[in-house]
Amino acid sequence: MASEDTIPVLKVLIIGPSGAGKSALLLRYCDDQFDPESSTATIGIDFKSKHLAVRGKAYRLNVFDTAGQERFRTLSTSYYRGAHGVILVYDISSRASFVGMEKWIDEAKSNAAPNAVLYLVGSKLDKVAGGGRAVTFEEGQAFAEANGALFCEVSAKTKENIKRPFVEVVDQIVQKPDLLAGAAPRSNNTTLNIGNLGSDYSSACPC
Amino acid sequence: MESLGDEPWDVVICGTGLQQSLLALALSRSKKRILHTDPNDYYGQNEAALTLQDAESFAAKHAGGASSEADEKSVIRNAAVWKPDDAEAQGLKFPRAYSLALAPQIIHTKSKLLSSLVSSRAYRQVEFLAVGSFFVYEPAKDGSDPKLSRIPSSREDVFSSQSIPARSKRSLMKFLKFVLDFESDEQKPIWEGHADAPLTDFLTAQFKLEDDLKRYVVALTMALDGKASVRSGLAAINRHLTSMGTFGPGFCAVYPKWGGLSEIAQVACRAGAVGGGIYMLDTSATVKPSGETEKASLELPNNITVETSSIISGQETTTGVQAISRLVAVVKSPLSSLFQVLVEGAPTPAVAVVALPSTPSPIYALVHSSDTGECPVGQCVVYLTTLATTDSKHGLEQALTMLIKAVEGEESTASCLYQLYYQQAIGDRKSTTENHGTTPAFSFPPLSATLAFEDTDLEAVKTAWSLVLGDESDEETYLVFEDREGADAEDEVYE
Repeated sequence: MASEDTIPVLKVLIIGPSGAGKSALLLRYCDDQFDPESSTATIGIDFKSKHLAVRGKAYRLNVFDTAGQERFRTLSTSYYRGAHGVILVYDISSRASFVGMEKWIDEAKSNAAPNAVLYLVGSKLDKVAGGGRAVTFEEGQAFAEANGALFCEVSAKTKENIKRPFVEVVDQIVQKPDLLAGAAPRSNNTTLNIGNLGSDYSSACPC
Repeated sequence: MESLGDEPWDVVICGTGLQQSLLALALSRSKKRILHTDPNDYYGQNEAALTLQDAESFAAKHAGGASSEADEKSVIRNAAVWKPDDAEAQGLKFPRAYSLALAPQIIHTKSKLLSSLVSSRAYRQVEFLAVGSFFVYEPAKDGSDPKLSRIPSSREDVFSSQSIPARSKRSLMKFLKFVLDFESDEQKPIWEGHADAPLTDFLTAQFKLEDDLKRYVVALTMALDGKASVRSGLAAINRHLTSMGTFGPGFCAVYPKWGGLSEIAQVACRAGAVGGGIYMLDTSATVKPSGETEKASLELPNNITVETSSIISGQETTTGVQAISRLVAVVKSPLSSLFQVLVEGAPTPAVAVVALPSTPSPIYALVHSSDTGECPVGQCVVYLTTLATTDSKHGLEQALTMLIKAVEGEESTASCLYQLYYQQAIGDRKSTTENHGTTPAFSFPPLSATLAFEDTDLEAVKTAWSLVLGDESDEETYLVFEDREGADAEDEVYE
């Protein structure tokens, strides 16, 4: 595999209302962890990294969590900077969380790059078995299509479809050369890496 | 979901200006329960970056001038926006295509702000761009058109310059060599006796610098009154020269992409959120009267009352009479000649600095290319600053026209598509602490109204940090953190 310095880095955000299962999706995919008891707001997770290869090429995927800033809708514009893809998560057992997607799609479209890939995820698919479904698959799919987003339903608990949103988002991103252009390390001659350049500052490179 | 008022907070931070946000970053690994609010629906307060829509509400909110007593004390005043009637037809894009920085300060590579961002690992979320050339405006002379002269900014640069006569070069080289260690025991006696005298007199007396070169040196001090003292001027030139090359060839300062200090404030707030802080925008918090032995309460909208052990805010009013005038102009031209790469291997600069002569004080223009993300490609944003007078708005507008013509020639059709004007008071730069019951309330002074970020503005952040943490504060851990992200990522392959 190519060395760390030359692997393109992709930035993907997970957004959506509190309690939709954003962190559960992130932790199951990146760390294969699931805590059925954890229902509180997520603390301490900035982003998680995962290497993956799509279409024969390696990428480093950085998946960012909202860090609770979705609770009062205070995600900053800087959170969206440079995002290649945005995964929007709602809870299929909660009508309210699906209805709220309209606002989240608007926010994603107005803050992310115009060509960023959008992906809608209905979470907590495991609740269907107990009759907990409040949003049909067709509704979710129709809403996604109307907004130019891909769609699937997942369960962090049973792992069903858990990798699919990430793989498909990356697959879409890598087919957009203009979107990918900024992902290659030192791909342009303007952005500086002060952590690497200032050898006085950081004695150890964490990469 | 627990409600906001159930348990007392350890600290409520009001406002998301740079200093409050850096405090949130500094406290982000503590166990403190933090509520962080801002009355605006955007981050950054007086250091925010505004879309054109935000700029309009900002101007409406701060339109008041010296006519009323309340406005007279406000840090931001006399704000107004302007655009030509056919701005859109001329090329003005949608409001979100712009990000106008209220704090466009350049950050010297030696600044403690950068080392703090690195040691706290927050720098990864900020894209830094290079600040390139510094220019001086030369008025029309002997039939020649007005032009911008680039200030040589290193000894190599002076050496290779074609425009400086050999004799002058020697004097200038001597001066540059002196500045590099002006604080040494050897050099100190040369200037200490004149420390508070004007730098320009000192340059004549000590180094016999000619007028042209003196203008270069004075411009590099970026003193808004144009009258740097020997002490402050030498310190500024020293910072400029010693910062050159620290992060790479050809530049001495950096600028955060997408709106300057606003980006740093937002990234710092996110770090606060990752650490468990709760964020509420569009939320004013007012202190409720409390008994002497009680914790203070703050009233939030919707009749929510929260108790807190400490309150941190920023000063919204000032007793200072002096102010600066700022004009932010979107110009329909890339002004590309200002952003050339002059040293091999240097990054493409996104910011150029231009000093324009003016009375009673000079005008400085920070010109930002579209690489800053502050405007669409093909345009640029010019931030003009001068000391406020009754006529300074007119002066800034004239300077903008002079600047464009000097870059593009007299026939230039580059027009201004949008303007935001405002005045910003220069406060007395002192933080304040008072007590509400048993709760200390600390207030940050406004940021220095300078063109380059001043490290002294960071001191109040540390003071506030010590106040909040009390006995738990350990200087060694101040803004020194490990990376958050977990262990090495696993590999997966999909086809």
